[in-house]
Amino acid sequence: MNDKPLTPKEQRQVLWRLLAYMRRYRKDTALAFALLVLATAGELVGPYLVKIFIDDYLTPRRLDFAPLLWLAAIYTAVLVLKTVISYFQLVKFQKLALEVIQALRMDVFTKVHQLGMSYFDRTPGGSIVSRVTNDTEAIKDMFISVLAAFIQNGVFVIGVFIAMFSLNVRLALYCLFILPVIIWIMKLYRHYSSIFYKDMRERLSELNAKLNESLQGMAIIQVFRQQKRLYQEFAQINDKHYAAGMKNIKIDGLLLRPAIDFVYIASIIVVLSFFGISAQESPVEIGVLYAFVNYLERFFEPVTQMMMRLSLYQQAIVSGARVFALLDHEELAPQNAETSKAVIQEGKIEFRDVSFSYDGKHDVLKHISFVVKPGETVALVGHTGSGKSSIINLLMRFYEFDRGDILIDGISIRDYSREELRKHIGLVLQDPFLFYGTIKDNIRMYNHSLTDEQIVKAARYVQADTFIEKLPDKYDHQVVERGATFSSGQRQLVSFARTIAANPKILVLDEATANIDTETEGAIQEALAKMRKGRTTIAIAHRLSTIQDADQILVLHRGEIVERGTHQELLAQKGLYYKMYLLQNGLVDAQEYV
Amino acid sequence: MTVFRDLFWFFRQEKKAYLTGIFILIVVAFLETIPPKVIGIVIDHIKEGTMAKTVLVRWMAVLLSVAVVLYILRYWWRILIFGSAVKLARQLRNELYAHFTKMSPSFYQRKRIGDLMAHATNDLQAIQQTAGSGILTLVDSLTLGSFVLATMALTISWKLTIISLLPMPIMAVATSRYGTILHKRFLKAQEAFSSLNDKVQESISGIRVIKSFGYEQEDVESFRKQSEEVVVKNVAVAKIDALFDPTISLIVGISFFLAVTFGAKMVIAGELTIGELVSFTTYLGLLIWPMLAFGWLFNIVERGRASYDRVRALLAEKEEIQEAENAITAPPTGDIVYDIRQFTYPNESRPSLENIRFCLRRGQTLGIVGKTGAGKTTLLKLLLREFDQYEGEIRFGGHEISEYTLDALRAAIGYVPQDHFLFSATVRENIAFAKPEASEEEVVKAAKLANIHGDIMQFADGYDTIVGERGVSLSGGQKQRISIARALLMNPEVLILDDSLSAVDAKTEERILSALKENRAGKTTIITAHRLSAIQHADLIVVLNGGRIVQMGTHEQLMRERGWYHDMYERQQLESLVEQGGEI
Repeated sequence: MNDKPLTPKEQRQVLWRLLAYMRRYRKDTALAFALLVLATAGELVGPYLVKIFIDDYLTPRRLDFAPLLWLAAIYTAVLVLKTVISYFQLVKFQKLALEVIQALRMDVFTKVHQLGMSYFDRTPGGSIVSRVTNDTEAIKDMFISVLAAFIQNGVFVIGVFIAMFSLNVRLALYCLFILPVIIWIMKLYRHYSSIFYKDMRERLSELNAKLNESLQGMAIIQVFRQQKRLYQEFAQINDKHYAAGMKNIKIDGLLLRPAIDFVYIASIIVVLSFFGISAQESPVEIGVLYAFVNYLERFFEPVTQMMMRLSLYQQAIVSGARVFALLDHEELAPQNAETSKAVIQEGKIEFRDVSFSYDGKHDVLKHISFVVKPGETVALVGHTGSGKSSIINLLMRFYEFDRGDILIDGISIRDYSREELRKHIGLVLQDPFLFYGTIKDNIRMYNHSLTDEQIVKAARYVQADTFIEKLPDKYDHQVVERGATFSSGQRQLVSFARTIAANPKILVLDEATANIDTETEGAIQEALAKMRKGRTTIAIAHRLSTIQDADQILVLHRGEIVERGTHQELLAQKGLYYKMYLLQNGLVDAQEYV
Repeated sequence: MTVFRDLFWFFRQEKKAYLTGIFILIVVAFLETIPPKVIGIVIDHIKEGTMAKTVLVRWMAVLLSVAVVLYILRYWWRILIFGSAVKLARQLRNELYAHFTKMSPSFYQRKRIGDLMAHATNDLQAIQQTAGSGILTLVDSLTLGSFVLATMALTISWKLTIISLLPMPIMAVATSRYGTILHKRFLKAQEAFSSLNDKVQESISGIRVIKSFGYEQEDVESFRKQSEEVVVKNVAVAKIDALFDPTISLIVGISFFLAVTFGAKMVIAGELTIGELVSFTTYLGLLIWPMLAFGWLFNIVERGRASYDRVRALLAEKEEIQEAENAITAPPTGDIVYDIRQFTYPNESRPSLENIRFCLRRGQTLGIVGKTGAGKTTLLKLLLREFDQYEGEIRFGGHEISEYTLDALRAAIGYVPQDHFLFSATVRENIAFAKPEASEEEVVKAAKLANIHGDIMQFADGYDTIVGERGVSLSGGQKQRISIARALLMNPEVLILDDSLSAVDAKTEERILSALKENRAGKTTIITAHRLSAIQHADLIVVLNGGRIVQMGTHEQLMRERGWYHDMYERQQLESLVEQGGEI
């Protein structure tokens, strides 16, 4: 995923698409807005009441107790009410933002599961994880601190002007000068800060890239005695980063708080001059002046806040663009006839002239044909890159194929529903993957219809129970760090139990015995033999000794089946299989054996 | 606040900037008290009917000049104080980098690069904040707070000041309590987020298992549960976070109320003018920031201290390889003699090398073979002096290698490591890494020797093609050959190929080896390999197993011995047969 700079148009599209998520929460949005307007009104009523007090009571010295008490009571009531409402308003907006992000996250994660294996092969896992969590988190920050703040402050600014207009139209008109000035400063700031900020981020990433590379290649740098030169190079980038940082400080200093404060004092000058001049003609209401000064005082902090958050906005848009790129990705997993009622009865597998290529150029499988009869075992052997794993990838529907056909019980695997296939084909991987949770959870996975007894039975069947029973909490033992505390053999036994608990008709073993420690090897072999009984099995084997009793052995080389037969037949052929066997068993005893 | 003491060396170094900056901050705080005062005076003039044009113009001129001066001063202190903070970050970053270049491999074995990166980015940022915003907040809140308080109490009314400030401590107490709760809830929210992160990580890593069981739907459901947990935890944060603003405005509202009520009483009693009352309320507004700033300050300082401690600990790491006094500065030439009784890696209990004794004459080729973990690379690392703590000695050109400076020793050795690391730079820059001033002919010659010139000419930009992490992706074999060219360009006294031919095919290997033989006459070469064909023609072959020499001699001698070497040789012949599909 490359981060090309987004055009303004693309940025706007991303923003609209993000905002569109709020449509799902229309009611909540409306409620939040209503609360916001109420709270803002409450905020503005305070100075207005003080104005009434000053002009109608204090200045003329009309100090009747009852109306003043009323005024005080109203002021207090409004204050308390406003406080409560604005609390709920703030919470509501944050909740709204969180729910929007939740919806977005669900969309992304759901999408991830619809993508085909080819996507996962090419995309580093870390970057997919980033899309689902970190990028959506950056968008959340924008929703909470930028969007909500913009809306809240925007409403506040409008409210201030409404209040000012209702107090004195002419003065309010004069005060309107603030708006173009502020907007001009904002535009100027946005323009320059986005350039300088981007420059600084780029310098920073350059700096980090240089540091990271130097750390990785430190041994080389030291062996070739280039420490001084690389230090100079680093210091140069560091200087550039410093210069960019200073530029940012300058632009912030010129256009941010100092500038806004300047406008504030300028607006005070306007208000005071207005009253000062009109006072020479007719008496003025001091309370109105008070209210204006008070409103202006509150007006500018939100403006500064809004400007300071602009950089967050930029980052969120970049994250948003990445997330949407994933959502729009079209490399979907192979499709199946989901409504199909076809049922796997016996488990006969047939590959009929299957050719396959990952990249559309180089075929990794060429005209593969073979049949596995129900209950029989076929072993696939061959050198790395011979195409063994591709056969399994196609059978498991991890990848779509376009030439030839794969049939189970005479029906193309495309014409079964996905569920039917998954239910009856059990895959055991070379590197057994254990999830966070207990041993029991790991055997049961998401199959909640499995009883605890069935789980224990499955574990016992593959002899995983001997080591599980020795664990502190037995089946409730918590798996940590993906099972790093277990040996690879123990992990494999758990994954056997997981597969057996699902009771598949077809068993696919992808080098299931490759990384096994000698301690559990015996148990694994026995378990495998038991599992294969009565099940159609396709096994990839690295160690030829594990598949000697297979009904048929297919020897693959560069995507083709070059030899096939039983162990004895193949040894007798003295071909590739024979040589592989020699390689694994030592020259001497093999020669004796034949 | 101890971090300010720890950073004092820097404040002293930049004392002009900091002293001027702080002085300006004080002036700014003083100037900020003027506008509210002017507002009050103008109001009183209006009220008393004494407002004349000249009076108005005079006061407005005062306001305008205050505004202009404030603008300039505020800009200025930012440059001084924030600028110094950025300078501190730059200085520490350079120091860290220089320090990293001195650290030996054992340091990089102990530390993860990601952690080191985090120190150089996040920690420096926190320190920068402390030296910038931290100082600002400390000085500004103290001076502005005290100036405003003084102006209110001394020039308006101390009684009214006390009365209207009564609710303020409640605000300080409340916000600091919120802060504590918020912190706890925030940690929980972060935990929930990071376990969500783990969950996604797990789903991606286990994608085959999930797909093979057809559990996509179920996994999405389990994700929904976890991510809803994140929402719940974050809403809990929001519920506290949203308390701040309303609380502040409530307390400020009460404060205003008290000021206006009691102020009005004083106005009626003639103790106060109405203009002074308006000034007073404006001052109240100015006090909010210093009140809040203190809580914030503690936060910044806390983070800064932790970060600075970590960076200091890193900078305190000692260099492990020390050079001898009066070390020889001329690069060594001559025979290499190993006589090592034992070597154990730091933090390991089992020795990695034992009883390694052999002599390599100048100009000879040494082949080292053995299983993975037999100690081949370790043997080379000792010659490069990446580790020092072994029993015995290694002599090179008649002196122990520790008698040379590191620079001199390494100037004699061209090393091609096992993990061929290239920098994100052009092919030319990578080949000329050890000698940036090398001529075009030198670079091409080295590339031709390493049998990579043809490949390079195929690249779109030839020798100017960018390679490395951010450049075009090369095959393992191409990377290996560029690494070889990089070492050959030095025309070193000793060339070390550490399993550097593993990714090239047999024919290329043969071509490179014969080119080396021709061009490196009289110079020493050391080759480690899995594939025996790479060392078959060496003058001396050492077979290692478990850190000990198990066989030693020429190819012919070793083949006659019918030991590990012989078996391996036969086995590899068969292997290459199988790879080619069984036919010859």
